[in-house]
Amino acid sequence: MPPLAGQRLPEPAGTEASLLARAQAGDVAAFERLSSAYADRLFMLLLRLLGDRGEAEDVAQEVMLRAWQGISRFRGQSSYFTWLYRIAVNEANRALEKRARRPAGVPIGADELQLPDSPLLDPSRQAENNELREALARALAELPPALRTAIVLRDVEGLSTQEAAEIAGIGQAAFKSRLHQARLRARAAIGDQALVSTG
Amino acid sequence: MGMPGRPGDHQWSQQHLSHYVEGDLRPRARRRLDRHARNCVDCGRGIRAMRALVHALQGLDGLVGARAPATIFDRVRLAGPGGSASSQHA
Repeated sequence: MPPLAGQRLPEPAGTEASLLARAQAGDVAAFERLSSAYADRLFMLLLRLLGDRGEAEDVAQEVMLRAWQGISRFRGQSSYFTWLYRIAVNEANRALEKRARRPAGVPIGADELQLPDSPLLDPSRQAENNELREALARALAELPPALRTAIVLRDVEGLSTQEAAEIAGIGQAAFKSRLHQARLRARAAIGDQALVSTG
Repeated sequence: MGMPGRPGDHQWSQQHLSHYVEGDLRPRARRRLDRHARNCVDCGRGIRAMRALVHALQGLDGLVGARAPATIFDRVRLAGPGGSASSQHA
């Protein structure tokens, strides 16, 4: 039985290069092993960009298929992770365009937002944090896709500006412009009072 | 009562709070915002709010319950070595 997707840590560089070479030669198992290291993170990215679990599952399958179909053309000019993430962002944007006539963004449900309770926080502080997380999710869902992508890649995923810009397919200056716009809108949507009182 | 500093400082500062917390302002621009925010309650709170926003967003990275679906490679397996499965999004 194959391991569950995303259970592994990223392979060591030498192993990843070997898996990549095998995958490029048509080895499906090598492709799965190579990509499964990033599967959970990639799925979480899609969940944040799309805000809907069912749609994220569908797009995740599509991302892997696109990656598999394109892997022979991957030249290693970026890391495999960056390349895979770029496909994910493109596919998420395609999915969002398809549903453009529907209400934009569905807030991620409370279950997906739940963090483990911290023993260091009292219950009232924990409740404030949960409220803030829900407000954040709503604010992200209300952002236009390009701005949401910027804030998710840079702030939530913690990628460098260079890497996030590469994944978004734009220059660093343009990426930063989107990031700053996204933060200003998110701040306006949540409100300074809520942010400062829980920050 | 007017806003502290030069005319336009308040609006300019409000628009550049994210640049400020990101460290993207040139020294002169940073000093301009610092000077204004020292005497502007809104912008002082705005800086704290922007920092809190970024901090809270970073905290979302620890979300649990987001395992990739077991079906994530189904279309790849269907396509096989030729990679010819039809795309759902084509």
